Amino acid sequence: MFTLPQKDFRARTTCLGPACMQDLGSSHGEDLEGECSRKLDQKLPELRGVGDPAMISSDTSYLSSRGRMIKWFWDSAEEGYRTYHMDEYDEDKNPSGIINLGTSENKLCFDLLSWRLSQSDMQRVEPSLLQYADWRGHLFLREEVAKFLSFYCKSPVPLRPENVVVLNGGASLFSALATVLCEAGEAFLIPTPYYGAITQHVCLYGNIRLAYVYLDSEGVKVKGLILISPQNPLGDVYSPEELQEYLVFAKRHRLHVIVDEVYMLSVFEKSVGYRSVLSLERLPDPQRTHVMWATSKDFGMSGLRFGTLYTENRDVATAVASLCRYHGLSGLVQYQMAQLLRDRDWINQVYLPENHARLKAAHTYVSEELRALGIPFLSRGAGFFIWVDLRKGCRGSGRCLQANPKWQKTPVPLRARSQVTNAGELVIVSWPEGPAATVDLGHSGAAED
Amino acid sequence: MSHRSDTLPVPSGQRRGRVPRDHSIYTQLLEITLHLQQAMTEHFVQLTSRQGRSLEERRHAEAICEHEALLSRLICQTINLLQSGAASGLELQVPLPSEDSRGDVRYGQRAQLSGQPDPVPQLSDPEAAFVSRDLSNRGIDISVFYQSSFQDYNAYQKDKYHKDKNTLGFINLGTSENKLCMDLMTERLQESDMNCIEDTLLQYPDWRGQPFLREEVARFLTYYCRAPTRLDPENVVVLNGCCSVFSALAMVLCDPGEAFLVPAPFYGGFAFSSRLYAKVELIPVHLESEVTVTNTHPFQLTVDKLEEALLEARLEGKKVRGLVLINPQNPLGDIYSPGSLMKYLEFAKRYNLHVIIDEIYMLSVFDESITFHSVLSMKSLPDSNRTHVIWGTSKDFGISGFRFGALYTHNKEVASAVSAFGYLHSISGITQHKLCQLLQNTEWIDKVYLPTNCYRLREAHKYITAELKALEIPFHNRSSGLYVWINLKKYLDPCTFEEERLLYCRFLDNKLLLSRGKTYMCKEPGWFCLIFADELPRLKLAMRRFCDVLQEQKEALIVKQLEDVMRE
Repeated sequence: MFTLPQKDFRARTTCLGPACMQDLGSSHGEDLEGECSRKLDQKLPELRGVGDPAMISSDTSYLSSRGRMIKWFWDSAEEGYRTYHMDEYDEDKNPSGIINLGTSENKLCFDLLSWRLSQSDMQRVEPSLLQYADWRGHLFLREEVAKFLSFYCKSPVPLRPENVVVLNGGASLFSALATVLCEAGEAFLIPTPYYGAITQHVCLYGNIRLAYVYLDSEGVKVKGLILISPQNPLGDVYSPEELQEYLVFAKRHRLHVIVDEVYMLSVFEKSVGYRSVLSLERLPDPQRTHVMWATSKDFGMSGLRFGTLYTENRDVATAVASLCRYHGLSGLVQYQMAQLLRDRDWINQVYLPENHARLKAAHTYVSEELRALGIPFLSRGAGFFIWVDLRKGCRGSGRCLQANPKWQKTPVPLRARSQVTNAGELVIVSWPEGPAATVDLGHSGAAED
Repeated sequence: MSHRSDTLPVPSGQRRGRVPRDHSIYTQLLEITLHLQQAMTEHFVQLTSRQGRSLEERRHAEAICEHEALLSRLICQTINLLQSGAASGLELQVPLPSEDSRGDVRYGQRAQLSGQPDPVPQLSDPEAAFVSRDLSNRGIDISVFYQSSFQDYNAYQKDKYHKDKNTLGFINLGTSENKLCMDLMTERLQESDMNCIEDTLLQYPDWRGQPFLREEVARFLTYYCRAPTRLDPENVVVLNGCCSVFSALAMVLCDPGEAFLVPAPFYGGFAFSSRLYAKVELIPVHLESEVTVTNTHPFQLTVDKLEEALLEARLEGKKVRGLVLINPQNPLGDIYSPGSLMKYLEFAKRYNLHVIIDEIYMLSVFDESITFHSVLSMKSLPDSNRTHVIWGTSKDFGISGFRFGALYTHNKEVASAVSAFGYLHSISGITQHKLCQLLQNTEWIDKVYLPTNCYRLREAHKYITAELKALEIPFHNRSSGLYVWINLKKYLDPCTFEEERLLYCRFLDNKLLLSRGKTYMCKEPGWFCLIFADELPRLKLAMRRFCDVLQEQKEALIVKQLEDVMRE
């Protein structure tokens, strides 16, 4: 599960500081994709990303050089989404539009969530919620988070509110941790394939890169290891033994370990047996083990922007808290989150069973379709995505996988196309970090059929 | 493993206990040693926070740190004994360092402090964090810089005054917040149009801000800023706070180490927003309180002063990329006339500088005889591609906990670059909906909220200024904002920043949190910022504490002056 990459495939990251400048140049368009895209770009120049930095002269720009890099990177990253938003599928108004199965979101339980969030206990407004508060999050929320994680992570001892810091989303957590644990230009190690947006999260402010080559290659100092369990995009769940192995490895090299457990409640196959790192009796290096969780995936609320950090390391918690001013969330939302997390009955008896049932049904549906088409894929019991191998289907040319952040409308000969989408096309997005021709096919979009 | 408790222990840089007035020698010694410790602390920060040094330089710096740490321990012991000796009146002997049980701290690469909580002032938390083995240098820098400045605010958060439950708690007149209209806002935010749960609100949003909100912000600003033509939603970016907007602007307009000019005194929070992530320096353009031929009113901002500051910065090799203006000004409350505003913008254009204008108090002008002119109301800007406006609901609507700030700029390149930070400074979809509803209801704003808010601000301002006049304390700000800029020079002898800090500590000892001039980068010591936008009962209690402290201070001064006379 911890894949050491082949030598010819190297992490390209768009780092925006001087330390990473040498990665950019004519190959800018590939910084977000894999090695494979280089060949494609040569054949299809019109697919180059927007705003080749070579074309941006400093005379015409109002931005600093750092600003120009940020803008260029953002334009390329957003290009795909812009194309999608301009032609979004709608059952009635735009049946031939693009369906997005490439963003990891759980859209299956909106009915349950909207019911819960409309209840009267969620509507409370109080002056203290409208005023400046403790930047690391209201105490009532941190207490609730500690209790929640103690219960669902099955921690051997109750977790403490002082070790909780609340921010507006997992992305902000990555940014803050990258900034306080590393100097500019340093790196975190991450198993590949991985959820690509993390590259941007640690780079924008943090100016660090993600490395999936071995520790001291190329003179880059690696300060930490990122583990995502359950894993995105593979859906793997690490066993307690595996977790211990990785944590011991990290301790040996004095690395911080950031464990992202954002899918911990999205394990829909009971037989999988998920174990949180917080459930381990003894951590090899508790001062360097930091756990992240958010409501974005497990509660299908990516738009709510609520993420938490749990760490016993007071220095790290304090340093992250120093940046919380820039990653704050509304007091009213904090109150609603506390209410949500507190409601164990609803979570255990209504939400989780229903959510898991729906995830499982959607997973089964897509798996059957894939099997019928003879497409190999990884079958795992967690998350919202299936890691699909389309190398065969593309007849070796790799053309259908325009390794470019743009969305590419590719007529894919799926027998069930009309059933799946009732639309003209199914969009396939190449996932930049994995081997050239595998693709992530999200399955938790609300199936319209 | 650190054993620090959640409450930050008393930092060594500030005294907490009562000043032993009867033991002036101890007081002097105490102050000298505290001052020395403060200086060492600052030096320590400098040494540990500098990045990119050679291995040799680093080893050298660490050796110095080690020596300073031992010296620091000695000083701590001295302080302990002075305080206890002062209380008991015993003759003291300062013990040798070898007897110090806390001198067992080792400083290697970055050793961790063995924490044994002490009942008396000791190495402050920031200093302990210096030697954290877990944070990067820039992590330490951020942590120390921030925590040392916000310790008192954090202490206040943990011990807030409450009229029934905590009558001895802190009253905060140092944070700029409008607490006068909580009743109106609470009511408004509970109305039914506020509660809407749509699936799009719970899903990944447009990181620049949901289109419905940006359209509303554009419409709102067009109306309230009296823009000559309709403002474009595509030029709007919304983030979770004006400080986030400022941080993102600093990132995209400057490279690390570059700078903005800011007329001082100014809102000290900008220093964090420009430095913590973006590493941009703020260069103060010092304004003077004294009225002279060239300074026709106190703290007047002129183009001459701007040019002088710019020239000086360039001579020092600094790259200045922009000018930051706050209008209405914080902490002075000044409102720039359209003529002056134009002059500053023309100055900026002459030197190709960006101008960031923070208009966060634009609806908090309570003096009816004054009209506020937003920069967005000007028919033509000297350099519209380099003029960027910040506004938010925190002050004008008193909902600082909502976390909302907006950027308006005609420059689509800048707007686009700032959008890149959208997902790190995102606002919950539900919050965006509520904000949209709030801003949309112009009738409620114009007929209910604004008149009531301005009336209450006026009344509170009247009360405060009457108290200040009775105490014969000169003050500045007659027209806008939530604060007055007061002059306490006559209570300081000598009038230095150190004395200003000690007076600030005296206020803290009496559970009153004010802001002192140094944090606003004011050149002249003795100024304080006092926020009056609080409910009258709390304000009255705060002023009583205020008067008590000044009385104490006066008496201490008299004692000191008598001693000086006796010595001669």
